[in-house]
Amino acid sequence: MKMVLAGAPPSDTDRERTLLRRARTGDPAAFRWLFERHAAGVWRFLKDLLRDEAAADEATQETFVRAHARLGALRDEDRLGAWLLGIARHVYLESLRHRGTHVDMDDEVHGSQVEAVLPTPTPEDLLLDRELEGLLAGALGTLREDRRAALLLRIDHGLPYEEISAVMGWSLQKVKNEIHRARLQLREHLAAHVGGHS
Amino acid sequence: MSACRETELDALLADELSPEDTARVRAHAQACPACQHALSWLRAERGWMAQRARRMPARPALDFAALESRLRKPVVPTAPKVSWMHWGKMLTAALASVAFVGITTLQVTRLPSADEPWTRNDALTTATWAVDWCDDPSREAVAALEARVGACLVASPLITLR
Ligand SMILES: [Zn+2]
Repeated sequence: MKMVLAGAPPSDTDRERTLLRRARTGDPAAFRWLFERHAAGVWRFLKDLLRDEAAADEATQETFVRAHARLGALRDEDRLGAWLLGIARHVYLESLRHRGTHVDMDDEVHGSQVEAVLPTPTPEDLLLDRELEGLLAGALGTLREDRRAALLLRIDHGLPYEEISAVMGWSLQKVKNEIHRARLQLREHLAAHVGGHS
Repeated sequence: MSACRETELDALLADELSPEDTARVRAHAQACPACQHALSWLRAERGWMAQRARRMPARPALDFAALESRLRKPVVPTAPKVSWMHWGKMLTAALASVAFVGITTLQVTRLPSADEPWTRNDALTTATWAVDWCDDPSREAVAALEARVGACLVASPLITLR
């Protein structure tokens, strides 16, 4: 099973497994290595969900405090990345509850076909400059939270659909449908804001 | 392939398909303008995400020193804390009646009694008793992940997030 976090190349997988074992025996240097390998991805995920850098800082620390406390209970050494992102999302949802924010989680999407035909322009010229980065952030922000989380777990954090299904608690088909719809929304938003491409 | 499936194109780029499916999807995509169009978007997405990751700002949360002070020793799931006073009461009761001891011990083993100083933070610190606090909008997702990795994700005191 492939699972690649941004900043965590797969060639490091064996090393991660070794260091995870050491971290579980209480080796602080090994935990530090794991933190440094995954913290940026966790922070980015939380920033995308919370849309607030300071809040993402706090939530990232809380995620790793919890991970550290429960590291010994993680049985599948190859799922550390998904496990951390699952904790991060839990921390995020808890923070919403503390702020009294309601998240609509009930908008189940039905549909069996995932079609590739998209009414959008081609993206060849859309290099990621600062302006587009802002547009991208804005487009991501228009997505419903759970749909945004699922999309980012895939396109930013490289989780396989099965892992996303586990993190989100969705069926595999729902994961595919939600990510597909998120992509369409993202493209529509970007296409509407990029002149001369439609 | 009767339909163009973006999920398959996505899996193709992620190198997640079997050799047979890779050949099939690639052959279809080469002859299908719609799939080529979708592929160009998928490639762009990947490029943007990679660029975005490289532009990560330096954040205080990414400094391990900031985290270190908050780390405790790994929590080993244990039975809930029971105060010495409580045990004292139990022992006194034990002297009075062996049968009573049996019943009391059974009760303590099952659940902390209502008069013990249980706070929400205590419950969260001791993972064994944190199950009730896993009740939130993500309950199903967390439960599924927990079942998969064999660990409770709620393991530290709640903090107020800004
Ligand atoms: Zn096609």
